[in-house]
Amino acid sequence: MKLVGVDVGGTFTDIMYTDTEKRNTWINKVPTTLEDPSIGVVQGISELCTQQNIEKANINHVFHGTTIATNAILEYDGAKTGMITTKGFRDIIHIGRHQRPENYSVMQEIPWQDRPLVQRRFRKEVSERLVPPNGDVLVPLNEEEVRVATRELKEAGVESIIVSFLFSYINPSHENRAKEIIKEEYPDVFVTTSSDVSPQFREFERFTTATINGFVGPKVKNYISNLKGRLKDEGFVSDLHIMCSNGGIGTAESVSERPVNTLLSGPAAGVLGGWWSGGLSDRKKLITFDVGGTSADIGIITEQGIDESTARDTWIAGFPVMVPMIDIHTIGAGGGSIAHIDEGGAFRVGPKSAGSRPGPASYGHGGTKATVTDANVVLGRLDEDNFLGGSMRIFKQEAFKVVSELASQLELSETETAEGILTIVNNNMANAIHEKTIQKGQDPREFSLVAFGGAGPLHAVEVAQILNIPEVIIPQHPGITSATGLLTTDLKYDLIKTEFLLSNEADYEQLNSDFNLLEGQIIDQLQKDGINLSNIEIKRTADCRYIGQGYELRVNLPGNEITPENIKSTWNEFNMLHKSEYGHCFENSPIEIVNIRVTGKGVMPKIQKPLVSKEGSIELALIKKGVSVFRENGELREFETKFYQRELLPANSKIEGPAIIFQKDTTTVMPPNCIGYIEESGNIIIKIGGIQ
Amino acid sequence: MKTIQNKVKIDPVTSQVIRGALENIAIEMGHKLARMSYSSIIRESEDFGCALVDLNGQQLCESTQSTPLQSGPIPGYIRGIRKIFQERGDQFNPGDVIMHNSTYHGASHGPDIGFCVPVFYQNELIGFSVTTAHHLDIGALTPGSCGIVDAVDAYAEGLQFKAIKVYEKGKKNHQVWSILRDNIRASDMVVGDLEAQIAAANIGAQRYVSLIEKYGLETVLAASEDLMNYSEKMMRNSIERLPDGTYYAEGYMDGYLDSDDVNKKDLKVAVSLTIEGSDITIDLTGTSPQVDRPINMPFEGTVDCAIYLTLRSILLDSTIHGHIPQNSGLTRPIRIIAPKGTLANPIFPAPTIARFCSGNMVADTLMKALGQVVPTQISAGVGNLKVVSYSGLSDEKYWVFMDIMEGSYGGRNGMNGMDAVDTLYANTRNNPIEDIESHYPLRVNRYELRKNASAPGKWRGGIGSVKEITFLSAGSVSIEAEGHKYAPWGFAGGAEGYIGGVTLKQKTNEKELPSKIPNTTMNEGDRIILTGPSGGGYGNPLERSPEQVLSDVIDQYITRDFAEKEYGVVINENFEVDYFATEKLRKG
Repeated sequence: MKLVGVDVGGTFTDIMYTDTEKRNTWINKVPTTLEDPSIGVVQGISELCTQQNIEKANINHVFHGTTIATNAILEYDGAKTGMITTKGFRDIIHIGRHQRPENYSVMQEIPWQDRPLVQRRFRKEVSERLVPPNGDVLVPLNEEEVRVATRELKEAGVESIIVSFLFSYINPSHENRAKEIIKEEYPDVFVTTSSDVSPQFREFERFTTATINGFVGPKVKNYISNLKGRLKDEGFVSDLHIMCSNGGIGTAESVSERPVNTLLSGPAAGVLGGWWSGGLSDRKKLITFDVGGTSADIGIITEQGIDESTARDTWIAGFPVMVPMIDIHTIGAGGGSIAHIDEGGAFRVGPKSAGSRPGPASYGHGGTKATVTDANVVLGRLDEDNFLGGSMRIFKQEAFKVVSELASQLELSETETAEGILTIVNNNMANAIHEKTIQKGQDPREFSLVAFGGAGPLHAVEVAQILNIPEVIIPQHPGITSATGLLTTDLKYDLIKTEFLLSNEADYEQLNSDFNLLEGQIIDQLQKDGINLSNIEIKRTADCRYIGQGYELRVNLPGNEITPENIKSTWNEFNMLHKSEYGHCFENSPIEIVNIRVTGKGVMPKIQKPLVSKEGSIELALIKKGVSVFRENGELREFETKFYQRELLPANSKIEGPAIIFQKDTTTVMPPNCIGYIEESGNIIIKIGGIQ
Repeated sequence: MKTIQNKVKIDPVTSQVIRGALENIAIEMGHKLARMSYSSIIRESEDFGCALVDLNGQQLCESTQSTPLQSGPIPGYIRGIRKIFQERGDQFNPGDVIMHNSTYHGASHGPDIGFCVPVFYQNELIGFSVTTAHHLDIGALTPGSCGIVDAVDAYAEGLQFKAIKVYEKGKKNHQVWSILRDNIRASDMVVGDLEAQIAAANIGAQRYVSLIEKYGLETVLAASEDLMNYSEKMMRNSIERLPDGTYYAEGYMDGYLDSDDVNKKDLKVAVSLTIEGSDITIDLTGTSPQVDRPINMPFEGTVDCAIYLTLRSILLDSTIHGHIPQNSGLTRPIRIIAPKGTLANPIFPAPTIARFCSGNMVADTLMKALGQVVPTQISAGVGNLKVVSYSGLSDEKYWVFMDIMEGSYGGRNGMNGMDAVDTLYANTRNNPIEDIESHYPLRVNRYELRKNASAPGKWRGGIGSVKEITFLSAGSVSIEAEGHKYAPWGFAGGAEGYIGGVTLKQKTNEKELPSKIPNTTMNEGDRIILTGPSGGGYGNPLERSPEQVLSDVIDQYITRDFAEKEYGVVINENFEVDYFATEKLRKG
C-alpha cells in the first residue's frame, strides 16, 4: 500500500509518503496556502511524487488533517445560518446556561450573545413537542410551519439550517421529518439536525453543537470538494480521508455532513503520532507533549487507548461542543511565550506570545521582549549556527539584551533570569499534565513523555523531572509528528444513544436491541466505506453515573448478549473508576446508564516501523563542545556540554548528559544526569537520573 | 493558637511555581465536588465553593468553577468555627471533619453548609481545606431550602450546625449522621452531597500537604504571603488611581409588598463609598432596620461578599486586568461598616435564610455609587434574581428541585447589557429542560427572552427571560425574589429597566404574585410563570446608532413604534432606516 499523510498547519503543510511494502518513507514541507489550503496540499504531494519518482495513480490513500472547521469557528467566519426550533424555545442558544463565562468581570463578552452563530432573526419557531421518558408526541409537528420557515430563511439568503427540537435525542422523528421538508423546499441548503450530530440530552449544548456544524458546514464541504477536484485533476485516483477529533478518520463524505467532528483534526493527529512513536519502543502509557511557538498540547494514552474528553468538558471558541473528542489539553505556553513583570510585580511567562512576527528577540525580526526561546539561547541550549538545521539564524546578543533588561528589574543575574523563565514555563506545562494525570488518579511515574513539535524536546526532560516521569521519548522526526500520525489511524465512527437505565431495574431486552441497532448502523457504514467485515472492530461503552449525579464516566460493556450476570463487571468497573477519578465511590448507590455508545473501527493500512542505520559513530555525530547552564542540586552551574547531530547518531548507541542534540526540525536538551539511548526504531529514549 | 511567622524571603520564580500549584489544588477540589455530587443545585448550577485557608484565616486560593458567593465566605466560616472551638474548649485533631452553617458565625446562610478539614503537617496544624455548597433541604418549616420567606427566626430556618465534628480523629460520628437523615427531606440526595463535599475537602488537604512536603512549610507560607501581597497590591493600585472622596447611592427593595406592616416593605439600602488613598470604606449606615422575616443579611458571609465581589469585578475586571489570584489579599484595602440591627447586620436570632436577593441589591447599589467614580467601568442597574423551590411527595418520599431564575445586566460603555444571566455575586447555571422533565413531574412550556422589554439607552439594557412551568402532579412551590416594584436604574441618560414578576395560573384564576411567596400548594395542571427583570439602559437612547436600533427591531427585541418613540429612529415597512425622518425626529 502507498499512503500519503498531509497535515496543514498555520505556516507549513507537512506531507509524508510511505510505502508499506518497501518500508520507505519520504517527507516534504511546503508553505501553507492560507487562502485555499487545498492548493498547497496538492502541490506538496505532487512535488514529493516528482522528487521521489512516485507514480501518482499508484497512491492508495490520502489522509488529511485540516483546520478549516477550527479556523471558521475561531475566526467567527462561517455560513449565514438559520434555525428551526421548538415553539417557545428559540432563545436556548442565546440564554445558554445563564452563567457568565467570567466570575469577576462587568465588561465581559458572552460568546453566544456577542457572536451568535445564528442571529435571532434567523431562528424560527414551529409547533411540535416531544416528552420524556419515551419521546412521546405531545404536540405533533406542524409541517406547514416548517415549510413557511424554510421559505423565509431561503428568502433571507441563509446557506445552512439547523433543526433543533427538545427531546430529539430520544425520538428524532420530528427533526428528520423537518429535514425532509427543508430539503424539498430548499434542496441546496446545508441541513443539520441536532439528533444526528449529538443525540444526547442537555438542549443548550446539543443545539449549540448542531449550530457549530451548520456554521462551519458549507465551508468544509466546499473545501473537501475543492480538494477532491484538485487531486483528481492532478492525476490522483486515491480516496480521501479526513482526520477527526475522535482520533479516527472519516471519509470525505461523512466529514462533509458532520464537519463538527473535525474541530481537533490537527492536534488529534499529533497525539496519534506520539502514540505510534511510543509504540515503536513498546511503551503503553504515554503522555504526548506537543509544543510549538504559542501553545502546548497534551494528550494521555493508557492501555485503554487515548483518553477521551467527557462530553461536558469540551469547548471551542467559548462554545460547548458535545461530540466525541480525544482529550487534548492546550495551554498558552511555547517558545514564543513572553516573560514579563506584571503590574503587581510578579514574574510571569505567557500566555501572550511573540508569535512568528516579530517572534523572539533572538530571531532578529525586531522582537523586544524576552521569550522562552531567548532564555534557551542565553543558557546555551539553542545554538547560533544550528537552529532548525541552520536554516534560521539566531541572534545571540539580542537574546542577552532582552533577558538582561528583565534581570535588572528582577534583581537577578542574567542566567538566573533565563533559567527562571524556563522554570516558570516548565511548571505551567507540568501543571497542565498534573491535571490530566494525578488529578484523575493516574501516576505519572508509570508513563513516558513523548516530546515533539518544534519546542517539545527542548523542555521535555525538565518537565518530566517536575512530575517524576522517568523517561522521555524523542521521535525520529519531532517536527512532523502529526503527518506521521495520519498514517497510523483507522476509520472510526461513534454512535451514541441516551438511555437513562438503572442498574437495579434494567431492561436488558431494550439494551440489547439498542446495541444491535447501533452496531448494525456502524457495520453498514463501514462496509459502505469499503471495509471487509473481518477488518471491523466494534466496542461497546456506556456513560454511567450514580443515580442523581450530573457527570458521567465511561465504562466498557460486554460485547455479547448483555445479561444481569455479565453486566456486573461494568458496575464494578464504574465503582473502581469513580474511586480512581474522584478519590471516593458510593458502592451502595444504584448506577444509571445515561448514554450507550458504539465505536466501530475499520482497520486501515499503516506506516511500518522505520529503521535507523547502525552505521557511523558517536564521535562522528559530535559536532562541537561548548558551555551550557543547568541547575544541579539546587545550584546553577556551567557545564561542559556535547553537541550532537541527530541524523548522524547510529542506532544502539548511547549518549550522556549534559548534551544537546541538533536536528533539522528541533533541538533536544539533555541535562546532566540523563542518558539517551538511540534505538533502531528511530526514537531516542532519555532516562532521567534521580527519579525512582 | 500560635501563628507561624515567615522567615524565608521568597524568590520570584518559586513564588510563581507555588501560585500555580495552589490554584491547581482548588480547581481539583471543585472539579471533583461538582462531579461527585447528586443534587442539581451543585452539579448543574455549580452553587458551591472550595478553598484552602491558612492558619491566620486567610484564603490562599479558590476553585474557579464555583460561584463567588460560596468561595468568598470561606474565611468567615473558619473564623466562626475557631471562635466556637475557643468558647467550647474544643481542639482540632488530625482526622477531624467539621460541619458548620451558623450565620452568626461566618456562614453565608443556613443551607450553605461548610465542611472544614484541618490540615496537619508533622503533627502541627497548618491550615484548613474547606468546601461549601448549597443543600436542597436542611429541615426548615416547609420543603426546600429557598423561598422560606415566612421564617420568623433562625430556629425556623432548619438545623443549625455550630462547628460540629462529623468525623472525630478519623472516626465517623454515626449519631450525628442519623440526626441528619431523620430531619432532612430528600435526605439520600442531601447526604450524598455532604459526603461528596467531605471527599473534596480531604483531597484538598492531601494535596496541600504534598505541596508542603515538596517545597517546605516556610517556603509555601512565604509564597502564600507573597501571593496575597500581590493581589493586595493590584487592588491598591487600582484604588489609588481613583479620586479621593465620598460617594453615596441608595436603592429600594420590595420586601413584603403584600404585608400590612409598612416596616416590612419598601426597604432602603444605603451605600457610602469613601476613597482615601489606596483604601476604601463602605458604610451602609442608613440601610433600613432588620425585619422579622428572613431577608436580613448576615454581615459576614453575605454583605462582605457582595461588596468584595462588586469592587473586584469593577476595579480589577478580569476582562481588562486578566486573571488575578483570588485570595484574602484582595480584601485588605476594604473596610465595611454596617450598624447593628439593620438589614445588613442583623442581631441573633433574626432570620436570614432568604438573604440572596438582598445581598445582590447591596452589590447593585454599590455599583451605582461607583458609577460616580468610574462611569465607564460599570453597568447600569442590574435585574435581580429569583430562587424557586419546587417540591412534592411521591411514595412517602420528598422530591425537591431548586432553580435559580436569572436576571440581566444593564447597558455598559460600548456594550449592551448581558441578557438573561445570573447577576453580580451569583454565577450559577440553569438546569437543562431535558434534565428537569426527565427527573421531576414538571413541564417547561416556554423559556425565552421577554417581549418588548429592552431598556432604551445608547447601549441597551440586557433583556430578562420568561420561564413557564406546569406541575404534572400535585406539589408545592416557594419563591424568594426581588425587583417586582423597583426597576433597575438607568445610567447617564439611559432609561430605567423593567420590573420582574411571578404569575400563578390555576384552573379558575390567574394572579400576579409578590416577590416573596411562601410554600404554596400547586395542583396538577397549575402553572407558574417567572419573569426576570431587564437591566437599565446606559447613555442617551438618541445616540444609539440607527443601525443598531434597526437590528434590535429585526431581531424582535423591540417594535418599530418603540424604535421611533424611544430612540427617534424611523424604520419603514421594508425594515429600512429612514435616515431623513430619523434625523428630523432626533433633532426635533
